[in-house]
Amino acid sequence: MPDGSHPPHRFGSLFAGTPAYDASLRRKRHAFGFLDQVCQAIEPTETQQKRARDSYEAVGRWLAEDVLLVRALIYAQGSAALGTMIKPIGRNEFDVDVICRVPGYGRDLPPARLKAMVGDRLKAHGQYAKILEEKPRCWRLNYAGEFHLDVTPSILNPACANGGELVPDRKLRDYKATNPVGYRKLFEHRAELAILVRLAKALDGRVHAEVQPYPNHGLRKGVLRRTVQMLKSHRDHMFETGDADLAPLSIIITTLAMRAYELCVQRYPYDNELDLMCDTVRLMPVFIERQVRFGEPYFVVANETTEGENFAEKWNDDPRLAVAFQQWHGRALAALEAIAEAEGLDRLQKSVSDAVGEAPVRKAAGDVADSFARARATGTLGVAAGVGLAVASRAAAATPVPRNTFFGR
Amino acid sequence: MRASLTAEQQLLYLRRNPICEGRGDVRRGALVWQFTAQPTPASRTYAIRIDLDRDKALKVVVESPDLPALAQGRDLPHVYREEPIELCLYHPRHGEWQPWMRLDQTIVPWTFLWLFYFEDWLASGEWRGGGEHPEPDAQEETTRWLRRATARPRRQAF
Repeated sequence: MPDGSHPPHRFGSLFAGTPAYDASLRRKRHAFGFLDQVCQAIEPTETQQKRARDSYEAVGRWLAEDVLLVRALIYAQGSAALGTMIKPIGRNEFDVDVICRVPGYGRDLPPARLKAMVGDRLKAHGQYAKILEEKPRCWRLNYAGEFHLDVTPSILNPACANGGELVPDRKLRDYKATNPVGYRKLFEHRAELAILVRLAKALDGRVHAEVQPYPNHGLRKGVLRRTVQMLKSHRDHMFETGDADLAPLSIIITTLAMRAYELCVQRYPYDNELDLMCDTVRLMPVFIERQVRFGEPYFVVANETTEGENFAEKWNDDPRLAVAFQQWHGRALAALEAIAEAEGLDRLQKSVSDAVGEAPVRKAAGDVADSFARARATGTLGVAAGVGLAVASRAAAATPVPRNTFFGR
Repeated sequence: MRASLTAEQQLLYLRRNPICEGRGDVRRGALVWQFTAQPTPASRTYAIRIDLDRDKALKVVVESPDLPALAQGRDLPHVYREEPIELCLYHPRHGEWQPWMRLDQTIVPWTFLWLFYFEDWLASGEWRGGGEHPEPDAQEETTRWLRRATARPRRQAF
Protein backbone atom coordinates (compact mmCIF):
# COMPACT_ATOMS: atom_id res chain seq x y z
CA MET A 1 0.00 0.00 0.00
CA PRO A 2 1.15 3.52 -0.64
CA ASP A 3 2.28 5.20 2.53
CA GLY A 4 0.29 8.35 1.86
CA SER A 5 3.32 10.50 1.21
CA HIS A 6 3.17 12.84 -1.74
CA PRO A 7 4.31 11.53 -5.06
CA PRO A 8 7.28 13.36 -6.53
CA HIS A 9 5.21 15.09 -9.19
CA ARG A 10 3.60 18.32 -8.15
CA PHE A 11 -0.12 18.85 -8.12
CA GLY A 12 0.41 22.62 -8.02
CA SER A 13 -2.66 24.43 -6.92
CA LEU A 14 -4.95 21.86 -8.48
CA PHE A 15 -7.03 19.68 -6.25
CA ALA A 16 -8.54 16.40 -7.26
CA GLY A 17 -12.16 16.75 -8.24
CA THR A 18 -12.09 20.39 -9.33
CA PRO A 19 -12.85 21.20 -12.99
CA ALA A 20 -9.31 22.46 -13.58
CA TYR A 21 -7.88 19.24 -12.15
CA ASP A 22 -10.22 17.11 -14.24
CA ALA A 23 -9.25 19.02 -17.37
CA SER A 24 -5.57 18.55 -16.61
CA LEU A 25 -6.15 14.85 -15.96
CA ARG A 26 -7.98 14.38 -19.25
CA ARG A 27 -5.26 16.29 -21.06
CA LYS A 28 -2.50 14.12 -19.63
CA ARG A 29 -4.35 10.91 -20.44
CA HIS A 30 -4.90 12.13 -23.96
CA ALA A 31 -1.24 13.13 -24.27
CA PHE A 32 -0.18 9.66 -23.15
CA GLY A 33 -2.50 8.14 -25.75
CA PHE A 34 -0.71 10.25 -28.34
CA LEU A 35 2.71 9.13 -27.06
CA ASP A 36 1.47 5.57 -27.37
CA GLN A 37 0.74 6.22 -31.06
CA VAL A 38 4.08 7.91 -31.56
CA CYS A 39 5.79 4.86 -30.05
CA GLN A 40 3.95 2.66 -32.51
CA ALA A 41 5.47 4.78 -35.26
CA ILE A 42 9.02 4.36 -33.93
CA GLU A 43 8.98 0.63 -33.23
CA PRO A 44 9.29 -2.05 -35.91
CA THR A 45 5.89 -3.26 -37.08
CA GLU A 46 4.46 -6.60 -35.96
CA THR A 47 5.25 -8.00 -39.40
CA GLN A 48 8.85 -6.83 -39.22
CA GLN A 49 9.25 -8.30 -35.75
CA LYS A 50 7.76 -11.60 -36.85
CA ARG A 51 10.16 -11.72 -39.82
CA ALA A 52 13.05 -11.24 -37.39
CA ARG A 53 11.74 -13.97 -35.08
CA ASP A 54 11.30 -16.44 -37.93
CA SER A 55 14.81 -15.69 -39.09
CA TYR A 56 16.57 -16.24 -35.78
CA GLU A 57 14.59 -19.39 -35.15
CA ALA A 58 15.81 -20.72 -38.50
CA VAL A 59 19.36 -19.74 -37.56
CA GLY A 60 18.87 -21.56 -34.25
CA ARG A 61 17.81 -24.76 -36.01
CA TRP A 62 20.83 -24.58 -38.31
CA LEU A 63 23.20 -24.11 -35.36
CA ALA A 64 21.67 -26.86 -33.25
CA GLU A 65 22.22 -29.41 -36.04
CA ASP A 66 25.97 -29.01 -35.72
CA VAL A 67 27.74 -31.77 -33.85
CA LEU A 68 29.63 -29.32 -31.62
CA LEU A 69 26.58 -27.23 -30.91
CA VAL A 70 24.06 -29.94 -30.18
CA ARG A 71 21.03 -28.68 -28.29
CA ALA A 72 22.20 -25.08 -28.70
CA LEU A 73 19.35 -22.79 -27.79
CA ILE A 74 18.70 -19.50 -29.51
CA TYR A 75 16.59 -16.77 -27.97
CA ALA A 76 16.12 -13.02 -28.10
CA GLN A 77 17.79 -10.77 -25.58
CA GLY A 78 17.72 -7.02 -25.02
CA SER A 79 14.96 -4.88 -26.49
CA ALA A 80 13.76 -7.63 -28.83
CA ALA A 81 13.02 -9.76 -25.77
CA LEU A 82 11.62 -6.92 -23.67
CA GLY A 83 9.28 -5.39 -26.25
CA THR A 84 11.16 -2.08 -26.21
CA MET A 85 12.64 -2.06 -29.70
CA ILE A 86 12.81 1.15 -31.67
CA LYS A 87 13.91 1.79 -35.22
CA PRO A 88 17.18 3.69 -35.57
CA ILE A 89 17.10 7.18 -37.09
CA GLY A 90 18.20 7.38 -40.68
CA ARG A 91 18.61 3.72 -41.55
CA ASN A 92 16.18 0.97 -42.36
CA GLU A 93 17.62 -1.93 -40.40
CA PHE A 94 16.82 -2.35 -36.73
CA ASP A 95 18.97 -4.48 -34.43
CA VAL A 96 17.88 -7.80 -33.02
CA ASP A 97 20.14 -9.31 -30.36
CA VAL A 98 20.01 -13.03 -29.81
CA ILE A 99 21.88 -15.38 -27.56
CA CYS A 100 23.03 -18.77 -28.74
CA ARG A 101 23.47 -20.78 -25.56
CA VAL A 102 25.72 -23.76 -26.07
CA PRO A 103 25.28 -26.49 -23.46
CA GLY A 104 27.91 -28.97 -22.31
CA TYR A 105 30.85 -26.63 -21.99
CA GLY A 106 32.45 -24.91 -19.02
CA ARG A 107 34.79 -22.00 -18.41
CA ASP A 108 37.70 -24.09 -19.63
CA LEU A 109 36.45 -23.63 -23.20
CA PRO A 110 38.36 -20.57 -24.45
CA PRO A 111 35.94 -17.77 -25.37
CA ALA A 112 37.57 -17.37 -28.79
CA ARG A 113 36.95 -21.05 -29.43
CA LEU A 114 33.29 -20.76 -28.43
CA LYS A 115 32.83 -17.86 -30.76
CA ALA A 116 34.62 -19.67 -33.59
CA MET A 117 32.39 -22.75 -33.20
CA VAL A 118 29.32 -20.65 -33.86
CA GLY A 119 31.01 -18.66 -36.63
CA ASP A 120 32.21 -21.77 -38.43
CA ARG A 121 28.77 -23.23 -38.43
CA LEU A 122 27.25 -20.02 -39.82
CA LYS A 123 29.92 -19.91 -42.55
CA ALA A 124 28.98 -23.44 -43.55
CA HIS A 125 25.54 -22.21 -44.63
CA GLY A 126 25.53 -20.78 -48.16
CA GLN A 127 23.08 -17.96 -47.42
CA TYR A 128 24.39 -17.02 -44.00
CA ALA A 129 28.00 -16.97 -45.20
CA LYS A 130 27.08 -14.19 -47.66
CA ILE A 131 25.52 -11.92 -45.06
CA LEU A 132 27.84 -12.72 -42.16
CA GLU A 133 29.95 -10.05 -40.49
CA GLU A 134 32.27 -10.58 -37.54
CA LYS A 135 31.91 -8.28 -34.52
CA PRO A 136 34.18 -8.25 -31.44
CA ARG A 137 31.88 -10.42 -29.32
CA CYS A 138 29.27 -11.72 -31.71
CA TRP A 139 28.37 -12.62 -35.27
CA ARG A 140 26.14 -10.31 -37.24
CA LEU A 141 23.81 -11.47 -40.00
CA ASN A 142 22.82 -8.54 -42.21
CA TYR A 143 19.34 -8.93 -43.59
CA ALA A 144 19.68 -5.92 -45.87
CA GLY A 145 16.80 -3.47 -45.65
CA GLU A 146 15.27 -5.41 -42.77
CA PHE A 147 17.37 -5.97 -39.66
CA HIS A 148 20.71 -6.98 -38.21
CA LEU A 149 20.74 -10.20 -36.27
CA ASP A 150 23.56 -10.18 -33.70
CA VAL A 151 24.26 -13.70 -32.47
CA THR A 152 26.23 -13.82 -29.21
CA PRO A 153 27.35 -17.28 -28.04
CA SER A 154 27.08 -18.13 -24.37
CA ILE A 155 27.68 -20.95 -21.91
CA LEU A 156 26.00 -21.57 -18.58
CA ASN A 157 27.49 -19.85 -15.55
CA PRO A 158 27.80 -22.51 -12.84
CA ALA A 159 28.60 -19.81 -10.26
CA CYS A 160 25.31 -18.01 -10.78
CA ALA A 161 22.45 -19.15 -8.60
CA ASN A 162 19.98 -17.39 -10.89
CA GLY A 163 20.76 -19.54 -13.92
CA GLY A 164 22.92 -16.85 -15.49
CA GLU A 165 25.25 -17.24 -18.43
CA LEU A 166 28.76 -16.34 -19.50
CA VAL A 167 29.55 -14.53 -22.75
CA PRO A 168 32.95 -13.72 -24.24
CA ASP A 169 34.33 -10.30 -23.33
CA ARG A 170 35.33 -7.89 -26.07
CA LYS A 171 38.91 -9.11 -26.18
CA LEU A 172 37.84 -12.77 -26.17
CA ARG A 173 40.25 -13.38 -23.29
CA ASP A 174 37.73 -14.22 -20.64
CA TYR A 175 34.03 -14.58 -20.00
CA LYS A 176 31.78 -12.06 -18.40
CA ALA A 177 28.64 -12.78 -16.43
CA THR A 178 25.26 -11.95 -17.84
CA ASN A 179 21.70 -13.16 -17.42
CA PRO A 180 19.36 -12.27 -20.27
CA VAL A 181 16.66 -14.72 -19.19
CA GLY A 182 16.64 -13.52 -15.59
CA TYR A 183 16.72 -9.90 -16.72
CA ARG A 184 13.78 -10.43 -19.02
CA LYS A 185 11.75 -12.07 -16.24
CA LEU A 186 12.49 -9.23 -13.85
CA PHE A 187 11.59 -6.62 -16.46
CA GLU A 188 8.34 -8.36 -17.32
CA HIS A 189 7.44 -8.70 -13.67
CA ARG A 190 7.95 -4.98 -13.13
CA ALA A 191 6.19 -3.98 -16.34
CA GLU A 192 3.12 -5.86 -15.17
CA LEU A 193 2.94 -4.38 -11.68
CA ALA A 194 -0.53 -3.03 -11.08
CA ILE A 195 -0.79 0.74 -10.96
CA LEU A 196 -2.80 2.12 -8.09
CA VAL A 197 -5.07 4.91 -9.11
CA ARG A 198 -5.94 7.91 -7.05
CA LEU A 199 -9.62 8.67 -7.33
CA ALA A 200 -11.09 11.83 -6.01
CA LYS A 201 -14.33 11.45 -4.15
CA ALA A 202 -16.23 14.25 -2.52
CA LEU A 203 -17.53 13.34 0.92
CA ASP A 204 -18.75 15.79 3.54
CA GLY A 205 -17.88 18.51 1.05
CA ARG A 206 -14.21 17.55 1.24
CA VAL A 207 -12.01 15.74 -1.17
CA HIS A 208 -10.79 12.31 -0.13
CA ALA A 209 -8.36 10.25 -2.07
CA GLU A 210 -9.31 6.69 -2.72
CA VAL A 211 -7.04 4.12 -4.17
CA GLN A 212 -8.07 1.49 -6.69
CA PRO A 213 -6.39 -0.57 -9.39
CA TYR A 214 -5.79 1.41 -12.56
CA PRO A 215 -8.31 0.73 -15.31
CA ASN A 216 -6.99 -0.89 -18.44
CA HIS A 217 -7.38 1.56 -21.32
CA GLY A 218 -6.69 -1.04 -23.95
CA LEU A 219 -3.32 0.51 -24.65
CA ARG A 220 -1.17 -2.05 -26.35
CA LYS A 221 1.83 -1.83 -24.06
CA GLY A 222 2.17 -0.76 -20.48
CA VAL A 223 3.72 2.45 -19.25
CA LEU A 224 7.17 0.99 -18.55
CA ARG A 225 7.79 -0.25 -22.12
CA ARG A 226 6.57 3.04 -23.57
CA THR A 227 8.77 4.96 -21.14
CA VAL A 228 11.84 3.01 -22.24
CA GLN A 229 10.98 3.53 -25.91
CA MET A 230 10.45 7.27 -25.43
CA LEU A 231 13.75 7.57 -23.55
CA LYS A 232 15.77 5.62 -26.09
CA SER A 233 14.21 7.58 -28.88
CA HIS A 234 15.01 10.86 -27.12
CA ARG A 235 18.59 9.70 -26.71
CA ASP A 236 18.89 8.79 -30.41
CA HIS A 237 17.43 12.16 -31.37
CA MET A 238 19.67 14.11 -28.99
CA PHE A 239 22.90 12.34 -29.96
CA GLU A 240 22.11 12.18 -33.66
CA THR A 241 24.09 15.35 -34.30
CA GLY A 242 26.40 15.23 -31.30
CA ASP A 243 28.96 12.77 -30.05
CA ALA A 244 27.21 9.44 -30.63
CA ASP A 245 29.91 7.58 -28.66
CA LEU A 246 28.73 9.29 -25.48
CA ALA A 247 25.07 8.32 -25.84
CA PRO A 248 23.84 6.41 -22.77
CA LEU A 249 23.50 2.68 -23.35
CA SER A 250 20.03 1.21 -23.78
CA ILE A 251 20.72 -1.32 -21.04
CA ILE A 252 21.49 1.49 -18.57
CA ILE A 253 18.36 3.43 -19.55
CA THR A 254 16.22 0.30 -19.33
CA THR A 255 17.63 -0.85 -15.99
CA LEU A 256 17.26 2.53 -14.29
CA ALA A 257 13.77 2.99 -15.75
CA MET A 258 12.49 -0.39 -14.59
CA ARG A 259 13.81 0.15 -11.07
CA ALA A 260 12.39 3.67 -10.83
CA TYR A 261 9.09 2.46 -12.27
CA GLU A 262 8.84 -0.22 -9.61
CA LEU A 263 9.53 2.32 -6.88
CA CYS A 264 6.89 4.74 -8.18
CA VAL A 265 4.22 2.11 -8.70
CA GLN A 266 4.74 0.54 -5.31
CA ARG A 267 4.84 3.77 -3.38
CA TYR A 268 2.44 6.14 -5.06
CA PRO A 269 -0.99 6.09 -6.60
CA TYR A 270 -1.46 7.67 -10.04
CA ASP A 271 -4.47 8.89 -11.93
CA ASN A 272 -2.74 9.15 -15.31
CA GLU A 273 0.07 7.40 -17.14
CA LEU A 274 1.99 10.54 -18.02
CA ASP A 275 2.62 11.53 -14.40
CA LEU A 276 3.85 8.01 -13.77
CA MET A 277 6.15 8.26 -16.81
CA CYS A 278 7.57 11.60 -15.63
CA ASP A 279 8.10 10.36 -12.08
CA THR A 280 9.79 7.22 -13.34
CA VAL A 281 12.24 9.27 -15.36
CA ARG A 282 12.73 11.71 -12.50
CA LEU A 283 13.74 8.93 -10.10
CA MET A 284 16.09 7.04 -12.44
CA PRO A 285 19.33 8.55 -11.08
CA VAL A 286 18.46 7.23 -7.61
CA PHE A 287 19.55 3.81 -8.85
CA ILE A 288 23.02 4.84 -9.95
CA GLU A 289 25.31 3.78 -7.12
CA ARG A 290 28.05 6.30 -6.50
CA GLN A 291 31.00 4.75 -4.73
CA VAL A 292 34.46 6.10 -4.13
CA ARG A 293 37.43 3.95 -5.07
CA PHE A 294 40.98 5.21 -4.61
CA GLY A 295 39.59 8.70 -4.10
CA GLU A 296 37.81 8.66 -7.44
CA PRO A 297 34.07 8.45 -8.04
CA TYR A 298 33.06 4.97 -9.10
CA PHE A 299 29.69 4.34 -10.73
CA VAL A 300 27.70 1.15 -10.59
CA VAL A 301 24.48 0.35 -12.41
CA ALA A 302 24.20 -3.23 -11.29
CA ASN A 303 22.62 -6.11 -13.11
CA GLU A 304 20.37 -7.31 -10.30
CA THR A 305 19.99 -10.74 -11.85
CA THR A 306 23.59 -11.88 -11.69
CA GLU A 307 26.79 -11.19 -9.79
CA GLY A 308 29.51 -9.10 -11.31
CA GLU A 309 27.87 -7.23 -14.20
CA ASN A 310 28.11 -3.45 -13.95
CA PHE A 311 26.33 -1.85 -16.90
CA ALA A 312 28.07 1.46 -16.16
CA GLU A 313 31.55 -0.03 -16.12
CA LYS A 314 32.78 2.21 -18.93
CA TRP A 315 31.80 5.35 -17.03
CA ASN A 316 34.67 4.63 -14.69
CA ASP A 317 37.17 4.68 -17.55
CA ASP A 318 35.67 7.69 -19.31
CA PRO A 319 34.15 10.31 -16.99
CA ARG A 320 32.54 12.03 -19.99
CA LEU A 321 30.03 9.19 -20.11
CA ALA A 322 28.64 9.97 -16.65
CA VAL A 323 28.40 13.65 -17.58
CA ALA A 324 26.68 12.81 -20.86
CA PHE A 325 24.17 10.66 -19.01
CA GLN A 326 23.41 13.46 -16.60
CA GLN A 327 22.90 15.96 -19.42
CA TRP A 328 20.76 13.58 -21.41
CA HIS A 329 18.66 12.72 -18.38
CA GLY A 330 18.01 16.36 -17.55
CA ARG A 331 16.88 17.07 -21.08
CA ALA A 332 14.75 13.95 -21.36
CA LEU A 333 12.95 14.81 -18.14
CA ALA A 334 12.40 18.42 -19.25
CA ALA A 335 11.08 17.17 -22.59
CA LEU A 336 8.57 14.86 -20.91
CA GLU A 337 7.47 17.57 -18.52
CA ALA A 338 6.91 19.90 -21.47
CA ILE A 339 4.72 17.22 -23.06
CA ALA A 340 2.73 16.91 -19.83
CA GLU A 341 2.17 20.67 -19.74
CA ALA A 342 1.41 21.27 -23.42
CA GLU A 343 -1.98 22.84 -24.10
CA GLY A 344 -3.14 22.63 -27.70
CA LEU A 345 -2.67 19.78 -30.17
CA ASP A 346 -0.06 21.85 -31.98
CA ARG A 347 1.95 22.39 -28.80
CA LEU A 348 1.60 18.74 -27.88
CA GLN A 349 2.94 17.75 -31.30
CA LYS A 350 5.72 20.32 -31.07
CA SER A 351 6.79 19.14 -27.62
CA VAL A 352 6.83 15.49 -28.71
CA SER A 353 8.76 16.44 -31.86
CA ASP A 354 11.31 18.21 -29.70
CA ALA A 355 11.69 15.01 -27.69
CA VAL A 356 11.89 12.33 -30.37
CA GLY A 357 11.98 14.08 -33.75
CA GLU A 358 9.36 15.16 -36.25
CA ALA A 359 8.87 12.11 -38.42
CA PRO A 360 7.08 9.80 -35.94
CA VAL A 361 4.97 12.71 -34.68
CA ARG A 362 3.87 13.58 -38.20
CA LYS A 363 2.96 9.94 -38.74
CA ALA A 364 0.96 9.67 -35.50
CA ALA A 365 -0.86 12.99 -36.07
CA GLY A 366 -1.68 11.85 -39.60
CA ASP A 367 -3.13 8.62 -38.22
CA VAL A 368 -5.38 10.59 -35.86
CA ALA A 369 -6.55 12.85 -38.69
CA ASP A 370 -7.19 9.79 -40.88
CA SER A 371 -9.28 8.08 -38.22
CA PHE A 372 -11.38 11.25 -37.86
CA ALA A 373 -11.73 11.49 -41.65
CA ARG A 374 -12.98 7.90 -41.81
CA ALA A 375 -15.41 8.48 -38.96
CA ARG A 376 -16.68 11.68 -40.64
CA ALA A 377 -17.25 9.83 -43.88
CA THR A 378 -19.19 7.04 -42.19
CA GLY A 379 -21.13 9.33 -39.87
CA THR A 380 -19.62 7.82 -36.74
CA LEU A 381 -17.83 10.93 -35.50
CA GLY A 382 -19.47 12.57 -32.50
CA VAL A 383 -18.93 15.25 -29.89
CA ALA A 384 -19.40 14.32 -26.24
CA ALA A 385 -19.35 16.59 -23.22
CA GLY A 386 -16.01 16.51 -21.42
CA VAL A 387 -14.46 14.49 -24.24
CA GLY A 388 -14.73 16.55 -27.39
CA LEU A 389 -14.54 14.79 -30.73
CA ALA A 390 -14.68 11.02 -30.51
CA VAL A 391 -15.57 8.11 -32.70
CA ALA A 392 -19.20 7.78 -31.70
CA SER A 393 -19.23 4.13 -30.73
CA ARG A 394 -16.88 5.00 -27.88
CA ALA A 395 -19.01 7.77 -26.44
CA ALA A 396 -22.63 6.84 -25.93
CA ALA A 397 -24.10 10.28 -25.30
CA ALA A 398 -22.41 11.92 -28.25
CA THR A 399 -23.90 14.43 -30.65
CA PRO A 400 -23.12 13.15 -34.16
CA VAL A 401 -21.16 15.42 -36.47
CA PRO A 402 -23.21 15.78 -39.67
CA ARG A 403 -21.51 16.11 -43.04
CA ASN A 404 -20.21 19.53 -43.87
CA THR A 405 -17.94 21.31 -46.32
CA PHE A 406 -15.61 23.89 -44.83
CA PHE A 407 -15.84 26.92 -47.03
CA GLY A 408 -14.04 30.19 -47.53
CA ARG A 409 -10.42 30.86 -48.28
CA MET B 1 -39.59 23.93 -47.33
CA ARG B 2 -39.57 23.25 -43.63
CA ALA B 3 -40.41 25.98 -41.19
CA SER B 4 -37.45 27.70 -39.54
CA LEU B 5 -36.85 27.11 -35.88
CA THR B 6 -37.46 30.20 -33.82
CA ALA B 7 -34.61 31.78 -31.91
CA GLU B 8 -36.32 30.66 -28.68
CA GLN B 9 -36.40 27.06 -29.87
CA GLN B 10 -32.73 27.18 -30.84
CA LEU B 11 -31.92 28.62 -27.42
CA LEU B 12 -33.76 25.81 -25.68
CA TYR B 13 -31.89 23.14 -27.65
CA LEU B 14 -28.54 24.84 -27.04
CA ARG B 15 -29.27 25.00 -23.31
CA ARG B 16 -30.16 21.33 -23.18
CA ASN B 17 -27.14 19.94 -25.04
CA PRO B 18 -24.20 19.31 -22.65
CA ILE B 19 -21.61 19.69 -25.43
CA CYS B 20 -22.20 23.45 -25.64
CA GLU B 21 -22.91 24.33 -22.05
CA GLY B 22 -22.89 28.11 -21.85
CA ARG B 23 -25.10 31.11 -21.68
CA GLY B 24 -27.13 33.23 -24.00
CA ASP B 25 -30.46 34.83 -24.69
CA VAL B 26 -32.88 36.02 -27.31
CA ARG B 27 -33.56 39.70 -27.74
CA ARG B 28 -35.97 41.00 -30.33
CA GLY B 29 -35.78 37.76 -32.25
CA ALA B 30 -31.97 37.60 -32.33
CA LEU B 31 -30.09 34.82 -30.58
CA VAL B 32 -26.69 35.02 -28.93
CA TRP B 33 -25.09 31.88 -27.47
CA GLN B 34 -21.67 31.79 -25.84
CA PHE B 35 -19.97 28.56 -24.89
CA THR B 36 -16.55 26.98 -24.58
CA ALA B 37 -15.33 24.25 -26.88
CA GLN B 38 -12.37 21.94 -26.42
CA PRO B 39 -12.10 19.75 -29.51
CA THR B 40 -9.93 17.14 -27.75
CA PRO B 41 -8.73 16.88 -24.15
CA ALA B 42 -5.25 17.96 -25.30
CA SER B 43 -6.60 21.05 -27.04
CA ARG B 44 -7.03 24.60 -25.86
CA THR B 45 -10.39 25.71 -24.58
CA TYR B 46 -11.94 28.19 -27.02
CA ALA B 47 -14.62 30.76 -26.24
CA ILE B 48 -17.18 30.69 -29.02
CA ARG B 49 -20.08 32.99 -29.81
CA ILE B 50 -22.91 32.12 -32.13
CA ASP B 51 -25.04 34.98 -33.43
CA LEU B 52 -28.25 34.24 -35.25
CA ASP B 53 -30.00 37.41 -36.22
CA ARG B 54 -33.73 37.73 -36.70
CA ASP B 55 -33.27 37.20 -40.42
CA LYS B 56 -31.54 33.90 -39.72
CA ALA B 57 -28.12 35.21 -40.75
CA LEU B 58 -25.58 33.16 -38.83
CA LYS B 59 -22.16 34.10 -37.47
CA VAL B 60 -19.73 31.92 -35.51
CA VAL B 61 -16.94 33.86 -33.85
CA VAL B 62 -13.94 32.67 -31.83
CA GLU B 63 -13.70 35.22 -29.03
CA SER B 64 -10.59 33.79 -27.44
CA PRO B 65 -7.81 32.86 -27.72
CA ASP B 66 -6.59 35.20 -30.48
CA LEU B 67 -6.42 32.98 -33.56
CA PRO B 68 -4.23 35.26 -35.74
CA ALA B 69 -1.74 35.46 -32.85
CA LEU B 70 -1.65 31.66 -32.67
CA ALA B 71 -1.21 31.50 -36.45
CA GLN B 72 1.79 33.86 -36.17
CA GLY B 73 1.17 35.69 -39.39
CA ARG B 74 -0.02 32.79 -41.49
CA ASP B 75 -3.37 33.19 -43.25
CA LEU B 76 -6.06 31.30 -41.41
CA PRO B 77 -7.83 28.67 -43.50
CA HIS B 78 -11.60 28.56 -43.88
CA VAL B 79 -12.54 31.83 -42.27
CA TYR B 80 -14.27 34.90 -43.64
CA ARG B 81 -11.88 37.77 -44.15
CA GLU B 82 -13.54 39.92 -41.56
CA GLU B 83 -12.93 41.36 -38.15
CA PRO B 84 -13.50 39.57 -35.83
CA ILE B 85 -12.76 36.29 -37.52
CA GLU B 86 -15.78 34.21 -38.42
CA LEU B 87 -15.59 30.52 -39.13
CA CYS B 88 -16.74 29.07 -42.47
CA LEU B 89 -18.30 25.85 -41.34
CA TYR B 90 -20.51 24.80 -44.22
CA HIS B 91 -21.09 25.35 -47.87
CA PRO B 92 -23.97 27.77 -48.28
CA ARG B 93 -25.04 26.31 -51.63
CA HIS B 94 -25.16 22.69 -50.48
CA GLY B 95 -27.91 23.39 -47.98
CA GLU B 96 -25.76 21.87 -45.23
CA TRP B 97 -27.22 24.32 -42.80
CA GLN B 98 -30.70 25.78 -43.08
CA PRO B 99 -32.73 27.69 -40.56
CA TRP B 100 -34.86 24.68 -39.66
CA MET B 101 -31.79 22.79 -38.43
CA ARG B 102 -30.77 22.76 -34.79
CA LEU B 103 -27.61 24.77 -34.11
CA ASP B 104 -26.52 22.39 -31.34
CA GLN B 105 -26.57 19.49 -33.81
CA THR B 106 -24.86 21.20 -36.73
CA ILE B 107 -22.98 24.43 -36.12
CA VAL B 108 -21.75 23.35 -32.68
CA PRO B 109 -20.21 20.00 -33.73
CA TRP B 110 -18.76 21.66 -36.86
CA THR B 111 -17.15 24.27 -34.63
CA PHE B 112 -15.45 21.47 -32.65
CA LEU B 113 -14.32 19.94 -35.92
CA TRP B 114 -13.00 23.26 -37.25
CA LEU B 115 -11.03 23.82 -34.03
CA PHE B 116 -9.52 20.34 -34.24
CA TYR B 117 -8.34 20.94 -37.80
CA PHE B 118 -7.15 24.41 -36.84
CA GLU B 119 -4.78 23.05 -34.18
CA ASP B 120 -3.71 20.28 -36.54
CA TRP B 121 -3.03 22.99 -39.16
CA LEU B 122 -1.00 25.02 -36.65
CA ALA B 123 1.25 22.00 -36.18
CA SER B 124 1.45 20.66 -39.73
CA GLY B 125 0.73 23.65 -41.96
CA GLU B 126 -1.78 21.44 -43.71
CA TRP B 127 -5.57 21.76 -43.50
CA ARG B 128 -6.76 18.17 -43.32
CA GLY B 129 -10.43 18.95 -42.89
CA GLY B 130 -11.22 19.21 -46.58
CA GLY B 131 -13.60 21.83 -47.92
CA GLU B 132 -13.84 24.25 -50.79
CA HIS B 133 -12.00 27.44 -51.48
CA PRO B 134 -13.57 30.13 -53.61
CA GLU B 135 -11.15 32.00 -55.90
CA PRO B 136 -9.20 34.51 -53.79
CA ASP B 137 -10.40 37.52 -55.81
CA ALA B 138 -13.96 36.26 -55.58
CA GLN B 139 -13.74 36.43 -51.80
CA GLU B 140 -15.61 39.65 -51.32
CA GLU B 141 -18.18 38.62 -53.86
CA THR B 142 -18.65 35.31 -52.04
CA THR B 143 -19.06 36.96 -48.70
CA ARG B 144 -21.78 39.18 -50.09
CA TRP B 145 -23.36 36.28 -51.88
CA LEU B 146 -23.35 34.27 -48.67
CA ARG B 147 -25.19 36.92 -46.81
CA ARG B 148 -27.88 36.98 -49.43
CA ALA B 149 -28.09 33.20 -49.59
CA THR B 150 -28.53 32.66 -45.90
CA ALA B 151 -30.63 35.65 -45.08
CA ARG B 152 -33.05 38.22 -46.29
CA PRO B 153 -31.57 41.73 -46.49
CA ARG B 154 -29.68 42.15 -43.30
CA ARG B 155 -30.81 44.41 -40.56
CA GLN B 156 -28.73 45.57 -37.66
CA ALA B 157 -29.43 43.11 -34.86
CA PHE B 158 -27.44 44.71 -32.07
